[in-house]
Amino acid sequence: MSEARRPRLCCHWLHACSGCELALLNGGDLFLDLLQLVDIVHFPLLLDRKYANDAEGKPDLPPAEIGLVSGGVASKAQLELLRTMRGQCRVLVAFGTCASHGGIPALRNQWTVEQTLGTVFPEDERSCSGGFDPEDWLDRVYAIDEQVEVDLLLPGCPPRPETIVATVAALATGHRPQLAEKSVCEHCPTARTGSGRMSVRRFLANADYDPEAPTDSMRCLLEQGLLCMGPVTVGGCGGREMPLCIRARVPCRGCYGPVRRQGNQLLDLLNVLASKGIDHRAIVDRRSLLRFSGAHGLLKPNIRER
Amino acid sequence: MPQVISIQPVTRIEGQARIDIHLDDAGQVADARLSIDALRGFEQFVIGRPAEEIPRIVSRICGICPWMHHVAAAKAIDCCFTVTPPPAGQLLRELCLVLAHIHDKILHFFFLAAPDFLFEPNSDYSVRNLMGLVQRQPELAAEVVRMRQLGLAMLERIAGKATHPVAAVIGGFSKPMTEQERQGLLADGRVLLDFACRALDLAKKRVFVRFAEEEAALGAIRTGFLGTVDDQGNLRFYRGRLRLMRPGGDTIDFAPSDYDRYLAERAEPWSTAKMVYARAWDEGFSLDLEAPRGVYRVNTLARINVCDRIATPLAQAELEAFRAGFGRPAQGALLAHWARLIELVYACERMLELLADQRIAEPLVRTPAEPRAGRGVGQVEAPRGTLIHDFTTDDNGCIVRANLIVGTTHNIAPMNMSVHRAAATLIDGSQIDTALLNRIEMAVRAYDP
Amino acid sequence: MKRQPVIIAFCCNWCSYAAADLAGISRLQYPGSIRIIRVMCSGMVHPDLVLQALNKGADGVIVVGCHLGECHYLRGNEMALARAEIIADTLEDLGIAAERFQLVWVSSSEPERLVAAFRAMSERLEAGRPPWIEAKEDGQ
Repeated sequence: MSEARRPRLCCHWLHACSGCELALLNGGDLFLDLLQLVDIVHFPLLLDRKYANDAEGKPDLPPAEIGLVSGGVASKAQLELLRTMRGQCRVLVAFGTCASHGGIPALRNQWTVEQTLGTVFPEDERSCSGGFDPEDWLDRVYAIDEQVEVDLLLPGCPPRPETIVATVAALATGHRPQLAEKSVCEHCPTARTGSGRMSVRRFLANADYDPEAPTDSMRCLLEQGLLCMGPVTVGGCGGREMPLCIRARVPCRGCYGPVRRQGNQLLDLLNVLASKGIDHRAIVDRRSLLRFSGAHGLLKPNIRER
Repeated sequence: MPQVISIQPVTRIEGQARIDIHLDDAGQVADARLSIDALRGFEQFVIGRPAEEIPRIVSRICGICPWMHHVAAAKAIDCCFTVTPPPAGQLLRELCLVLAHIHDKILHFFFLAAPDFLFEPNSDYSVRNLMGLVQRQPELAAEVVRMRQLGLAMLERIAGKATHPVAAVIGGFSKPMTEQERQGLLADGRVLLDFACRALDLAKKRVFVRFAEEEAALGAIRTGFLGTVDDQGNLRFYRGRLRLMRPGGDTIDFAPSDYDRYLAERAEPWSTAKMVYARAWDEGFSLDLEAPRGVYRVNTLARINVCDRIATPLAQAELEAFRAGFGRPAQGALLAHWARLIELVYACERMLELLADQRIAEPLVRTPAEPRAGRGVGQVEAPRGTLIHDFTTDDNGCIVRANLIVGTTHNIAPMNMSVHRAAATLIDGSQIDTALLNRIEMAVRAYDP
Repeated sequence: MKRQPVIIAFCCNWCSYAAADLAGISRLQYPGSIRIIRVMCSGMVHPDLVLQALNKGADGVIVVGCHLGECHYLRGNEMALARAEIIADTLEDLGIAAERFQLVWVSSSEPERLVAAFRAMSERLEAGRPPWIEAKEDGQ
């Protein structure tokens, strides 16, 4: 009997790369422990449960206490799945940065669906690419909270495995999940002096550091003149330890999305540069500062071309 | 009455796909198609981005094999900017690539594919999976999980971020390996090699023995193959020449940068995914089951077929045994699983070779680059098959054109043939139930799409 | 009736807010669709606030601060200038016409200058008949 009363977990992907699902599996022993706590009722990567058996069928998803949705929403079919899932799940979690803020796929929002189709299927191939019907697609890539009510954002590209497991476990046992709320810089051990180069350069040569010395002897990458999005990105990528990109000695690119849910990583970063007196015009391609958070209407087709 | 049976979604694969089986009035299979619906638009939205950022963007094409895209893009942009990484940079990139192969192959074989063979095909779907494996064979499941963990932990030690990596940079690698790290990794690497050999033995006893029976049920297709070999014809993942093999075994080798002279892409009205065919054979393109034209396969079985030999001893011995049993080229679709575990052994041996090379711990890992106009083709062998990234940059070093052929794109055509063949062989007027439909999915799973 | 463009004006307490007060006392006319928000310094208007105003329906945003060198907090308006450059450069990246934002300097004794700036912006937004205004009228 106790088996039947375990909370049910429904996990589904939309406009996603499956990295979030993999991150859950990467929890390893923690993932195995989680299996003792919840019943997985739907999970296409692992479980042979189908949601539609006929070509026109509405998606058939099971009821669940906890729903994890990865990926943004780009097509009408994905929207239908998302709405069904919202109806079936008591708590709905935006699982990963794509679901929370659009993620890398939302970079496409700088072009219309027709423009993208024209590029992916160039003229000579297009004549026979009738398989794609632009009508099946939404006008852009949406974060899921633009379409349905979402109870929790669990950002990350991908989220840290132990954070995913801890979040699901907290929801399963009726606790409040603990997620990082401060910026990547708050978790970063590099040495900051408060002064630095007054410009930013492209990442064409490695940062200056001693590989044999601990990371906290490395100077802050932004102060070294490398564009780093740590100040405008919510932390948590390294769990309790230092941010992952800093472990690789490369600058942050903002994969956890903005610090505040409504934040704009492009404007916020330029604001940081302005307050440090760094010339923002040295940045090549400012729009890619929104490469992880281009949903919510932040990235749009160029108005001069419209 | 004509009827369409859909399998949606195809499960226990690393992506999203559906199968539609069209039955005619008599209940016979008229056609069967596999479709992958996604308009990701990577070829569109990389345009305008500074080229050095591309490896960190295109990794998001696939969350299971981000290292492949990451490294292929880094290689391509090296060419655009005409920069050559120092030896340690090359070795570190290859080491990460083979480690990513290792944890991917463990994942695919044990988590996704093996449940079809370790459980009865008609067993309940709620049991026929990883969770069922945990219930029934907890020690095996725990060991598999721990070995994947170990592979991932090694990657994190070398490269900081294991999923959606950041350490392969234009001109090399972002962080050198210390001698102390190298020693620690060597010890862990030996554990993985030991596991790989035991996994292959286990699979021979408990999984591969069922192949003959299952292959007969699924029916066969006959296609060509594509993979990467070095100048001596050895199997390679990180660099080499592409080798295209005809169904009969004749081969042509070519430089990856010439890929568009030997391969061509096309779109079909019934598919939303582009397909690739062998332009070099000059026979056009057809998915006719009896007389396919231009169709070849990539990934594990293809690589095992096209290589003359494997440069590491344990994997070479396995290759010889495999060839003695199935010939060259072997055509059976399920043999891709067997080939996958041979490659797992190779990847572990290659990892130890790389770690044994002292140059990998040299401090110089990156050559500084300057943005410039150019074109670069980067190619690697991904778990899913030959991966080709082709970028063109402008004077400012920003992308103006991109063409990406991922492993699964090559396999769309043969997968459609396999699905059609399996549906036609299995259905043949018999009762259609979930066990039968799962067998059709098994034909897809072998490709690890 | 033709709709006048709604403009949010962030006015510094020490200069332009006083100038607006003086404009009222002096009975200088400016369009009624201008909404003034008092801030302690033009330098405290975060770019996010400008973007939020534009995304939530304002047709234009004008930030009004003290002349350079006259900041009550010494260098606050230099910050405003740096931020204005960011906003001007970034709005088009975000799909918003750059002319919907403006920064002007007005001292507390220059109500005419303030009113002229308000009028000029209002007329510019109206004359341009930019697509975002037409779309709204259709919707209403």
